[in-house]
Amino acid sequence: MPILAMLAVMLSVATILITWSVMGGFLKTLVNSGRSLIGDVTVSWPNVGFAYYDELIVMLEDDEMIDGATPIIETFGLIQLPDDRIELVTIKGIDPVSYDRVTNYTDTIWWKPIDEPTAKDRDGSDVRLDPQFTGAMAMFESNAVTLTRLNPESGQTERAGVLGVEVTGLNIRTEDGIYDPRANGFRALPDGRIERVPGFMPAGGSVGLTVLSLDSTGKPVDPVTRTIPIANEFQSGIYEIDKSTIFVPLEIMQEMLRLNEARKVQLVENPFATEVDPVTGLRRPKMSEVVGIDPARVTTVLVRSVDGAELQEVRDRVYQIYQDFEAKHHGEVPSSFSMENQIRTWEDLNATMINAVKKETGLVLFIFGIVSFTSVFLVLAIFWSMISEKTKDIGILRALGASTTGVAWLWIRYGTAIGLIGATMGTAAGYAVVININAIHDWIGRTFNLVIWDPRTYYFIEIPSEVDPDKAIIVFIVGVLTCVLGSLIPAFRSARMDPVKALRFE
Amino acid sequence: MMTPQSKQTPQSKQTSQNRQTPQNRQPILQVKGIRKTYHLGRVKVPVLHGVDMTVRHKEWITILGASGSGKSTLMHIIGGLDRPDKYPEDPASIVYGDRVITDMGAAALNAYRSTEVGFVFQFYHLLPELDILQNICIGSMIRYGRFGYRSKRKGVEARAKELLDRFGLSDRIKHRPAELSGGERQRVAIARALINEPAILLADEPTGNLDLKTGESILDVLAELRESGGLTMVMVTHDERIAARADRVIRLIDGRVVEQTGVGSV
Repeated sequence: MPILAMLAVMLSVATILITWSVMGGFLKTLVNSGRSLIGDVTVSWPNVGFAYYDELIVMLEDDEMIDGATPIIETFGLIQLPDDRIELVTIKGIDPVSYDRVTNYTDTIWWKPIDEPTAKDRDGSDVRLDPQFTGAMAMFESNAVTLTRLNPESGQTERAGVLGVEVTGLNIRTEDGIYDPRANGFRALPDGRIERVPGFMPAGGSVGLTVLSLDSTGKPVDPVTRTIPIANEFQSGIYEIDKSTIFVPLEIMQEMLRLNEARKVQLVENPFATEVDPVTGLRRPKMSEVVGIDPARVTTVLVRSVDGAELQEVRDRVYQIYQDFEAKHHGEVPSSFSMENQIRTWEDLNATMINAVKKETGLVLFIFGIVSFTSVFLVLAIFWSMISEKTKDIGILRALGASTTGVAWLWIRYGTAIGLIGATMGTAAGYAVVININAIHDWIGRTFNLVIWDPRTYYFIEIPSEVDPDKAIIVFIVGVLTCVLGSLIPAFRSARMDPVKALRFE
Repeated sequence: MMTPQSKQTPQSKQTSQNRQTPQNRQPILQVKGIRKTYHLGRVKVPVLHGVDMTVRHKEWITILGASGSGKSTLMHIIGGLDRPDKYPEDPASIVYGDRVITDMGAAALNAYRSTEVGFVFQFYHLLPELDILQNICIGSMIRYGRFGYRSKRKGVEARAKELLDRFGLSDRIKHRPAELSGGERQRVAIARALINEPAILLADEPTGNLDLKTGESILDVLAELRESGGLTMVMVTHDERIAARADRVIRLIDGRVVEQTGVGSV
C-alpha cells in the first residue's frame, strides 16, 4: 500500500511537471517568436510618423544600455496576390541592414540554403537541401538581405519585398514541418478560363500593394498602388504574422505614404496674385514659395538592448533619451508627454497574445492540478486503510507508552517520507519525459501511427522540451505536501484511537 | 545496570532490605472502588462494580475469572491504558507508590506505562515488521524519544541481548516474529515488557495461546524473574492451575471481587 501511495504522488508530480514544462515551453517559444521581429522596445508615432529619426537612432545607439536601433514604417494596406486575391496585410518598410541588427530578420528568411534537415524532416525532403537549388537559394537569401531582385527582362536590380511564408497560401506546410512550394497558382479569368500564375514568389512573383497616402497632418490623400517584386519569404514562428505581413524597403513606404523628404512651401493665399517671371519678364500667377525642407519620417524606431539588460529599465532609458531628443527638436517632433505611452516593450506589444497563452497554461495547470489533487484523497484512502490494518500495532505502541501526538507524528512522518520518495521519483520521471518528449512522441507516432503534435497544426516543429528548475522545485514541494496532507486525517484518527479497543481489534 | 528485579519504588527500598513475607510487604499499588461501564451504542454494559485490591512489592497476584468477568478491563485500568468511571460521590482511585494514577493526565499516564509497568498479552502483540531486537527495544525508543534513544541505544541493545540470552533466544535476534514459535514470541514479549525495567509486570492470559508445556515454560520464566529479583506481577487468567502458582489469587465474578486466597490474602 505505501507503494501505491508513492505511485500516486509520483504520477501526479510527473503529470504536472510535464504539463507545466511543455505549456511553459510553448509560451516561451511563442513569446520569443513574437519578439523576434520587433526588438525589445519600440518608439512609435503612427500615421504621420516623426522626423529626425536618424538623429534619435544615433542618440539611442550612443547609450551603453542599447545595442542598436532601426527605423521602420508600419502601416496597413491591401495586397493583390498573383491569383488576384486581395488581402489586408501589415506592411513594414524596413532598412534591412539595421533591421537585422535589431531583430533576427535574416534568421527568419525561409528560402535559403541549409546544411542539415530540420528536426522533423527525417527523409530530407526539404527543397532547400537539394544541391541543384543551392545556388538559387543563395540568391534568394541574398535578395532578402538587400530587399532587391534582378529583373531578368530589363537587367535592372529592383527594390523588392519579402512576404510572410503563409501569405500566398501556395506554400504547403507538411507534417515534416517544412514547406512544399507550389510552382503555380491559378487565376480565374472573367471568361471562365483558368490562367496559371507564378506560385513560387521569389522566382519572378510580384504583388500589388495599395496604401493610403497621407498629408502632413495625417489625413488620407489618395490611394497609392505599386507593384512589388518578391525577393523571398520569411517565417517568424507566429502564424498571424506570417499570414499577413510583408517587408518592403523603407524608402518605398516613405514614398508611397508621402513620408519622404519634401520641400516645404508657403502657399499663396490670394488666388489672383501675380508676379513677374524672372526669365521671360512677363507677369504670371504668383507661385508658392519654397521655405524649407520637410525631413523624411518613420512611424517607428525599434530598439535592441544589450544582453542582460532589464526590459523595463531599457524602456525608461529610451524614454529619457527621447525627452532629450524632443528638447532638441521642440515643436518638430511629438512631445515627450504624448510619447510616454508610445514607447513600449515587446511584452506590452504582445500582451494580448502572451496573456492568452498564459491563461491557457493556467487553465490547463488548474485542471491538471485538480486531477492531481485527487492524489491527496488517494493517499488519504491508502493511509486510512493502512491505519485500519495497523490498529493493533497502534494499540501496542500506546501500551508501551507512546503518546497520541507521537502516534500521529509517526504517520505524518511516514506520509512525508512517502511524499519525498514519490515526489523525487515523479520529478525525475517528469524530467526524463520532458527532455525526451520529442523522441517519445516520434516513437508513439511510429509504433501506433498516432501524431499528437502535428507541425501542420502547431506552428512549432518540435514540442518544447525544457524543464525550468524553479517549476520542478515547486512541483516537488507540492507533491510532498500532497502526501503530507493526505496523511493528516488518518494520522489524527490513529492518534484518537482508544488503545484498549485497538488492542482488541481483530 | 539495573535489572527489572532490582528496580524499586521508594517504599520498596526500606522493605527490601529485610527479608519479608508477602503479607507484611509494603503495598505498591492500591486499587479502591474501581467501576467501569462500557457503552455499546445506547446499551450500557457494566463491567466492574467497585473493585478494591492491594498489590504488594514482589508479590505475584493472579486475577482469576471467567470470560467477561472484567479481569482484563481491571488490568488495563491498573496499567493506565484505560480509565475507570468517575463518580464524584464515590471517587475511585488507584495509587501507585505515592502517585494517584486515576488523577494523572495523558502525558503522565504515557510515562507511567512506559517506565513503571510492562504489559504481556495473550497474543504477544509483537510488531510484525520489526525483528526481535527491534521489537524489544521499541519500548525504550518510546521512552527516550527519537533523539534521546540515540545516546542510549548501545546500552538498551545490550540489555535486550542480555534478556534474549536469558530467555534462550540469543540466536533469534534478527528473526521476525512470524519466524518464531508461540512460546518464543511470548518470551520476546516478556523481554519487551522488561526492557525499561518496570516495577510491575501486567500479564493478560500470558499462556492462553500456548500449549500446556510451553505455557508452563513461560510461567517458569515469570516465576524465575520474580524469584531472582522480586518483580511484582499481576497476572490475569481463567486457568485455575496457573492461578495456583501465584502468591495470591483474586477471584473476580461479574466485575466484583468475591474471594482472595493464598499467602497474605486480605
